[in-house]
Amino acid sequence: MDYILEIKNLRKEFKNFTLDDISFKLEPGYIMGFIGPNGAGKSTTIKLIMNLLKKNGGEIKVFGKDHIKYEKEIKDRIGFVYDENYYYEDLTINQMKNIVASFYSKWDEHQFNYYIHEFGLNPKVKIKTLSKGMKMKFSLGIALSHHADLIIMDEPTSGLDPVFRREILDILYNIIQDDSKSIFFSTHITTDLEKIADYITFINDGKIIFSKPKDEVMESYAIVKGGTELLNKDSRKEFIGLRETKVGFEGLTDNIDGMKRTFGNNILIEKATLEDIMVYSVRR
Amino acid sequence: MLGIIKRDLMLLFCNKRDGFFMLFYIPFLILIIDSYDPKWLYLAIIVAYTYIISITSFYYDIDGKGRYIINSLPINGEAIVFYKYLSTFVYFIMTIVYAGVYLWIINWTGLKAVDYFNMEMVIKAIPIIMFATSIVFPAYFYFEPRIARLVHMVVFIGFFIGMANLGALGDKSLVKKIGLFQGKNMVFVPIIMFIASLLLSMKLYQSRDL
Repeated sequence: MDYILEIKNLRKEFKNFTLDDISFKLEPGYIMGFIGPNGAGKSTTIKLIMNLLKKNGGEIKVFGKDHIKYEKEIKDRIGFVYDENYYYEDLTINQMKNIVASFYSKWDEHQFNYYIHEFGLNPKVKIKTLSKGMKMKFSLGIALSHHADLIIMDEPTSGLDPVFRREILDILYNIIQDDSKSIFFSTHITTDLEKIADYITFINDGKIIFSKPKDEVMESYAIVKGGTELLNKDSRKEFIGLRETKVGFEGLTDNIDGMKRTFGNNILIEKATLEDIMVYSVRR
Repeated sequence: MLGIIKRDLMLLFCNKRDGFFMLFYIPFLILIIDSYDPKWLYLAIIVAYTYIISITSFYYDIDGKGRYIINSLPINGEAIVFYKYLSTFVYFIMTIVYAGVYLWIINWTGLKAVDYFNMEMVIKAIPIIMFATSIVFPAYFYFEPRIARLVHMVVFIGFFIGMANLGALGDKSLVKKIGLFQGKNMVFVPIIMFIASLLLSMKLYQSRDL
């Protein structure tokens, strides 16, 4: 099987943080959500994929090729959107576009003009005068205007209003209608992923907790609610994460049958959201 | 390479402060450099201009994190470094044309008698530019912005002290006595330095986190 993105035992060491042997794969035609709390290693992983950081170990393959050996060829097929604006703020949208366009072999001016118009951007204004949302729209316009096969986005929806977030998700959904394209999308706004992601990779403290199809994730976890009198030393250990209040407890489990056996009909079992999974796993 | 040059030139005039600086830097140099022979003034102008154009984009890349964008585009680190070194010569030619027109107008209006083209000084300028960029480029490609700026300041101030010394004393100046850019040294020292610096920058840039 040819993967569009394949990470094997990737390792990066910093003074206070280590990305610890992470591995995951993304097939063509799918959207992978990359979730985790702040400081979990999401941006570090993306920077390693883009060769902005140098890895200490492991392997990164994009389109089946080594990301350093075939760097130019690979980056020609990647559209990127970063969590903040790194474009030259003193340049206008048009000037920045002219610089970027000269690097891509398949730059599509017509497509760029379409997105600029669609996003309501004035090409003559300086990037520094744009709001955060507008800067993100500009980044997205650039990323989508050179027929990229892989779109890599680092927290593209953080700080954006729900209307524009939905607009972005619709655009991304349209992109993957082409089976050869994929999207790798880091975020901590997990509700966005519940709408569009096919796979979820969850990272915490530099380690991959899981990398699975979204439906499998949603089916295998559940939120269990009940009175605190039901809990004892042993039953507490059966939860991935647990929150106790005066009125009762709420916990995350990936062993729904086991919970039913332990607590019988005294508990309420609800579907867990991605946010529940992330929050309780981090609290564990 | 076109993309790198396009980027550098756009950044030169992208804000009023930098645009103003580029526009009035020649009259400023004419005012501050007191030379008994206009050829030294011409040398100072073409060297300083080429050098400034070459390093301006570093401010945006290092301080403004524009390097994340450039390094995410379809170009590898070695090519970024190589084109940056190579573009110095393109900026040198552009500077000769720009300064030539600017100085010709100053000469024509009678404001000051200045050289607007001097082949002897053009030949002298090449090793000086190569020498300066050989020291400053690796610093910008590898070190923290603070250290890189310090290296730049030392080289830039050193250049002006040298020019002031040369302009005031001519053949009796310390610069002439050291003879770094004279005879065979004028050709070999800068070339060796430039190539060594290019290779060093390539290696350093490939090994560092951005």
